[in-house]
Amino acid sequence: MESMDRTFELTRRDVNRLRRVLIELLDQSEADSCLVCDGAGHVLAHENVNRQDPLLISALGAGVFAATRELARILGEDEFSTVLHQGVKRSILMAAATEEILLVVMFSGENRVGLVKLYTPAAVDAIRGIFESIKSRGAEGDPSVDRNFVLKETADIFSGSQS
Amino acid sequence: MAFVNQETREIQLKIVYYGPARCGKTTNLEVIHKMIKSDHKGDLTSLDTVKDRTLFFDFMPLVADVIQGFTTRFQMYTVPGQVMYNTTRAIVLRGVDGVVFVADSQWSEMAANVESMRNLEDNLGLQNKRLDDIPYVLQYNKRDLPAVAPVHYLEFLLNNRGKRRPGFTSVATTGSGVFETLNMIARLVLHRFVRDSRRSGAAGQKDLQLV
Repeated sequence: MESMDRTFELTRRDVNRLRRVLIELLDQSEADSCLVCDGAGHVLAHENVNRQDPLLISALGAGVFAATRELARILGEDEFSTVLHQGVKRSILMAAATEEILLVVMFSGENRVGLVKLYTPAAVDAIRGIFESIKSRGAEGDPSVDRNFVLKETADIFSGSQS
Repeated sequence: MAFVNQETREIQLKIVYYGPARCGKTTNLEVIHKMIKSDHKGDLTSLDTVKDRTLFFDFMPLVADVIQGFTTRFQMYTVPGQVMYNTTRAIVLRGVDGVVFVADSQWSEMAANVESMRNLEDNLGLQNKRLDDIPYVLQYNKRDLPAVAPVHYLEFLLNNRGKRRPGFTSVATTGSGVFETLNMIARLVLHRFVRDSRRSGAAGQKDLQLV
């Protein structure tokens, strides 16, 4: 179907399922925040990402992971399934749930690396399962789905002025 | 590829500024960021080298109230223009919904413009997309410089496909033509999104292919 590769939709139920996985991961791993994004850099779900911009983290995370995948290809490795950037105060771990879905976990303190590494695989599996179920079913039966997109009449969507 | 979050009533769309090195892609985003109202924009993030050349991409989110009942977020990217960064360009193009092709109007840059347009087609091909199938506009930048090609020549050279696309002249450094270009690509992307959504109707996502 032509349009299906142009639009990707998550229903309210999908988002809540993802959020439950993220909340559980935060609870178990004592991480600060986490999000799920896709290869285009879209934010699909996030939890506790208050201080940072989830859009920017998704854009950078998707870029970093795509670059890492290219490095793996160059080195003859199938995939580096996780990427860890460890700082003194803050760290970030990115893990591929599917070829196009990425889990990003942000946490503080060195001693949490082990916890995050321990609990992330289960979260990744759960996220993968959610996206497999999304792919295998239609969204027809969900009453929350609203595809009645109506454009507003506006002369210019964006306007600028010297600030 | 547009993304709809029915829980947060949010639509995310991705627009990429493409073109040869030093044509003005980053300048477009810088000017938009400087001139647009603060409640419509997020931070402009640039991943560049010490010489202020884009190394990975520039990124800036814009938000608009253009679809009833939904918040629409445009994710604006540029690609690095230098030839050696092609892998990066292919990465940034993933899931793109619309393209602004920024051409350098100077005579000396005609070959680079043509090569960049070919490169755009090639990189879209890696996603099984064709340039003809996605919304795009052309921007003929640097019109203030002395040795520039006439617009009709640039149109002949770059806007020569079956269906002519909107083209704008610009002096991005002053803001001239920047918002005209932005509004046109935003409008085209929105219309395509609404059209595709209507066509798909209540169809399921069995054929869903993430980028």
